[in-house]
Amino acid sequence: MTRLGDSSSINPEEVLLFAADAARVMLESGGETYRSEETAVVVAGALGGVEAECYATPTGVTLSFVGGDGRVHSIVRRIKRQAMHLERVALVEGIARSLVAGSMDFGAASDELGRVEALRGRGVAVSSAAAAAGAGCFTVLFGGAWNDALVAAVAGALVSRLPPAMARKQLPDFFANLVAGAAATLLCLGARRLGLATGADATVIGVLMLLVPGIAITNAIRDTIAGDLVAGVARGADAFISAAGISVGAGAAYQAWRLLGGGLF
Amino acid sequence: MRILDPAWAGLATAAFALLFNVRGKDLPLAAIGGALGWAAAAPLQAATGSQEVAYCAASVLIGIWAELVSAVRKRPAAVYIACGIIPLVPGSGMYYTMLEYVKGNSSKGLETGFATLQIAGAIAIGLALSGAASRLLSLRRIAGRIREPKA
Repeated sequence: MTRLGDSSSINPEEVLLFAADAARVMLESGGETYRSEETAVVVAGALGGVEAECYATPTGVTLSFVGGDGRVHSIVRRIKRQAMHLERVALVEGIARSLVAGSMDFGAASDELGRVEALRGRGVAVSSAAAAAGAGCFTVLFGGAWNDALVAAVAGALVSRLPPAMARKQLPDFFANLVAGAAATLLCLGARRLGLATGADATVIGVLMLLVPGIAITNAIRDTIAGDLVAGVARGADAFISAAGISVGAGAAYQAWRLLGGGLF
Repeated sequence: MRILDPAWAGLATAAFALLFNVRGKDLPLAAIGGALGWAAAAPLQAATGSQEVAYCAASVLIGIWAELVSAVRKRPAAVYIACGIIPLVPGSGMYYTMLEYVKGNSSKGLETGFATLQIAGAIAIGLALSGAASRLLSLRRIAGRIREPKA
């Protein structure tokens, strides 16, 4: 904040956009609320902003500071999509650190942030294989036999493709969770009926672990403990709605299976 | 606890870390966190009979591991925390809550639902404790010495 001499040449409007975007990218990639706020404040401060304040929730970022020109600048950034991309969180924090340490200038940092935002997730092959491995391991962990784990792996790979496909069709998350929950349950019950899996419980849990918002529930409570009350409650509501979607889907699939004479318990 | 369970937990964590776009050396480091957490949680649950206590203690361990690795690697602890708690987060609790409602046992479902929330709370408290502890004990300084022994 004292380095006004070398940073006063930077347009405060650009700093505002950059700092808010850094916080937005962090939140969109699964970073914690307090860390996103801290990043925006620290970046704005390093680039000549005084009295920077940032207010972040899972659905938006507000940032304001007093620029080198003595005027108050503020911006609102809305967050619409969220997908875990922890490499992005790490890289954005790296940019903030370099800016504060003075080892990176504003232009380079801007380019780097653009590059980080353009980073893609893993391809279909890798993420399907990871989903298969995750579902299989959890089935073993929850007491399933090896054939249950294999069924869970195949079902997991298939089910993990559903939410991204539905997101491309602009369907809301709730609907994607509902269909994925139903598909996971039906695949596992069907496999048991065909004699491929011995128990349904461990198999279904293994697959559903890919969908259930366990991390979201935990992060909701963590935000609330950290004092970010609005963000915490918002994350809680988000987790509740996804859980409801999965449960309604899985529950409906169970009921349909029972009505069609598949046998349940 | 079966002897191989922490390995399965570690593998599951690695798979989720892949899905969360964790890269390079961070992948095995994140997976170790998940394996550590499960290795602590399962015997503690057997010893104390309380899932909440066991998961809270395991989360403290995961949190400390994450803070140490984050200080050595100079990357945010969130990377290792989000992956490490994966085996503990109450996915199965949510499944059983749903199953009880489908069976028509709504009071049992309510009970399971609250237990699920308690587990999420226990994990969050464990992480808050380890975060506070690492600040109090200056874990970052200790890790800094690991990183640069001469300094």
